Amino acid sequence: MSGKHTNLTYLLIALVGFLTVCPVVMLGFGSLSEGLTATGTFTLAKYASAYSDPALLEVIWNTVIFVVGAAITATTLALFLAYLNIRTDIPCKFIFGIISIIPMMIPHILFSVSWALLLNPSNGILNLVLKELFFLDSAPFNIYSLPGMIMVEGLLDLPIAYLIIAPAMAAFDASLEESSRVCGASTAKTIFRITLPVLRPAILAAFILCVIRGLASFAVPSVIGMPGRIYVLATHLYQMVSTGFAADYGKAAAVGMSVLLTSIVLIYLYRHLTSAGERFVTIAGRGYKPTIIKLYRSKIPLFIILGILSFILIVLPVVVLVYTSLVPYSMVPSARAFSMMSLKHWVDVLNDPISLLSLKNSLFLGVFGATIGIVLSIFVAYVIVKVRTRAAGVLESLSFLSFSFPGIVIGVGFMWFFVRTPLYATIWALLIGYIATYLPYGIRPLSSAFVQIHNHLEESSLVSGASYLTTLRRIVIPLLIPGIVSGWVLMATMFVRELSLSVVLSRPGTEVLAVQILRFSEDGLWGRLSALGIMMIGISTLLVITVTMIGNLFRPADT
Amino acid sequence: MEIQITGLRKHYASEGRIIKALDDVDLTIPANLIFTLLGPSGCGKTTLLRAIVGLENPDAGEIRIGDTIVYSSRQGINLPTEKRGLGMVFQTYAIWPHMNVFDNVAYPLQNRKVPKEEIRHRVAETLAFVQLEGYEKRPATRLSGGQQQRVALARALVAQPKVILFDEPLSNLDAKLREETRKELKSFLNDLQITAVYVTHDRVEALALSDTIAVMRAGSIIEIGSPKKIYFDAESEFVADFIGRANLVKAVVRQQTTDATIVDSDIGRLACRKGDFPIDAAVTLCLRPEFISLAKGEHEGTNVVNGTIVSLVFVGDAFEGEFRVGEQLLLARIEPETSLAAGDEVGFQVRPEHCLLVAK
Repeated sequence: MSGKHTNLTYLLIALVGFLTVCPVVMLGFGSLSEGLTATGTFTLAKYASAYSDPALLEVIWNTVIFVVGAAITATTLALFLAYLNIRTDIPCKFIFGIISIIPMMIPHILFSVSWALLLNPSNGILNLVLKELFFLDSAPFNIYSLPGMIMVEGLLDLPIAYLIIAPAMAAFDASLEESSRVCGASTAKTIFRITLPVLRPAILAAFILCVIRGLASFAVPSVIGMPGRIYVLATHLYQMVSTGFAADYGKAAAVGMSVLLTSIVLIYLYRHLTSAGERFVTIAGRGYKPTIIKLYRSKIPLFIILGILSFILIVLPVVVLVYTSLVPYSMVPSARAFSMMSLKHWVDVLNDPISLLSLKNSLFLGVFGATIGIVLSIFVAYVIVKVRTRAAGVLESLSFLSFSFPGIVIGVGFMWFFVRTPLYATIWALLIGYIATYLPYGIRPLSSAFVQIHNHLEESSLVSGASYLTTLRRIVIPLLIPGIVSGWVLMATMFVRELSLSVVLSRPGTEVLAVQILRFSEDGLWGRLSALGIMMIGISTLLVITVTMIGNLFRPADT
Repeated sequence: MEIQITGLRKHYASEGRIIKALDDVDLTIPANLIFTLLGPSGCGKTTLLRAIVGLENPDAGEIRIGDTIVYSSRQGINLPTEKRGLGMVFQTYAIWPHMNVFDNVAYPLQNRKVPKEEIRHRVAETLAFVQLEGYEKRPATRLSGGQQQRVALARALVAQPKVILFDEPLSNLDAKLREETRKELKSFLNDLQITAVYVTHDRVEALALSDTIAVMRAGSIIEIGSPKKIYFDAESEFVADFIGRANLVKAVVRQQTTDATIVDSDIGRLACRKGDFPIDAAVTLCLRPEFISLAKGEHEGTNVVNGTIVSLVFVGDAFEGEFRVGEQLLLARIEPETSLAAGDEVGFQVRPEHCLLVAK
């Protein structure tokens, strides 16, 4: 039996290794090459020109402020929300569940666009309303600024930070706090002296993951940063590869190398923190519930803050998009605006061949890509959790690597690879790139599903006379269904809205939804953008619902 | 069916050291009896059980179940678990949570391609045997610990294997339920003509359940015998100490008479159960607390020990009394309505057959 697994492990190492190491190596190779098609001659000229660019210093400075600012915003908000949910008696706790899954529902690019529609200085809806209300001469807010970028990115990364901090908060042993109270400390003092320091590894981990996401973020820098001429590394790189005939993939690779290396260092720091975190947070036995703190008079104001936050995160983007898709041009909601509403933009989009093609391509990539991705994830997660040899450890590190991948940078790396293969400019190039970049999102839910399947469950099937394959079919797979469903849904929704990798790899004929939306945004076609965007949200939601229902079919009826 | 194990070896490398989980074990497990592997955790008992069922691959040796060789390193035979046709009850029960009781129990029969009608009949029969009739449709997740244990037993029995293996099946039950289930299990197994191999670290469980006990330590079987033999007549100090509470006293053999061995011990000269020791051999005298009946005042006569009570601890059905004889502290069970108190001068007379001598 163990012999079979050794072969499986090596096969997976080869496969995952190709997916994750290949773009990194090709990026390095590209940064040293003279041109996309030049092979064999190496040069340092690209590094010289990339790093002597006087604009680079400002770009790096912007990036640092943007990334750190957004990470602080997201972590602070997440900490606040997690504490409210887990440790206080705030009402309507179901809202927290919704907040933690919205990133699956609303793509980053649409969230960014909706804020641009609300707060752009020339005709942002909120700005227009405020101007009328307070008789102002100019728009009070300008979203096309660093603070604007930080706010939107911070809100986007909030769910990720929440998903890391909330479980740590829930596993917190309340007796640590209780003994602080016994020693005479107040609630506030206990929070700052005991709760936060004990949670420090989780908070740091959330912060670092937000920094990695910020570095990789392309939606916010392109939709909100570029109109305000604020460039960060991602958009700096995008400029190099997107400016018509003068695209310089070598220079982009040279800049990308340092972004990627920073990301890789950060992701291993993150992993170190999350594994060391177990030493810090003391987890009590089963049936344990943390003590709930009564809020008394601060309950209502805190609940109002929570209400505003969830309105901003969940309701506002969708409402703005629906509204914009129906009115002819940007206008303040009024009786006149409602009387002028029509389905014109929707009809335009449905008559636009490129939009239709992008719908088709994204749907294909979502359904087919996620299916392949999840099959690969099942095997990888199995080896990582159940085989546990040294080779399995190598596989885990390899598969973890792509957590760090900034899409646009890894896209440039893949570009250097695909241009040498017949896959160049085909939908398969996108498919391979997607799976390589998002593999950890499939592996993670499956690993936790495998962890829950005690070895005895498989062994008792073998003792009962079932072969290895029967055991897989009748015991392992049925128990994995919840993990498979959540992994598939996560991958499919990410593929449907994928932007940062696609802007590099998408070519005429392989347009995808997010790239088409970016084009509409660059051309200022907000109505069509909103219509297509809502279709995109619709597709994601439909996929989530369908697959969840299919998953329920496999579940035994009475559990 | 008899199980014959020859030269079975399994070594692990852990943190640079070699751990001998099975150190060339030779063992014959008699047919149709309850055979218990008893030992402290890490002694290799579970590894031995898993090697028999085929979940663990030994490094060398041979395992024969009945007339079939299921594992032999010399002949290159290693029958996979699913072909060995055994039944096993796991420590965690391993009840599949996505199936109901019927599907769990029917599973071994389905794998043996038994016709559907017969499966229904045999599952119902087996569930009735473990007193779970009518539970077929109950989801596995809605069973109590004791019920899960019975479902696991039914699943192990349903295909009528010739050998059934138990890996600490009672350790997850609470104390009261454990006692009831133990009795039940004993009567179930007595009703069946089946070879049962039972792994436990609980000496009471081993004594109450087994026909034969094998005590293991560090990958080796150090003693095999009936519960009474292991309890009263252990050959080593380790076994005597592990199988029950014991006062261990240093002693030297002075004389061999026809029916006793006379020793000089730290608590005086005593006539003990006859043992095969040379004169002047250093031995350990093993006195179980339940055979020491203390009474007030100084005792005289043969095989008498006198001392002073140091403390009395009430444990419900008795007092545990600690008393001092010279430098030696001894433990005795004292009936709960005693009038003895700390500081009292006490003594006891012990029968030679209750004074067990073991090699050091």
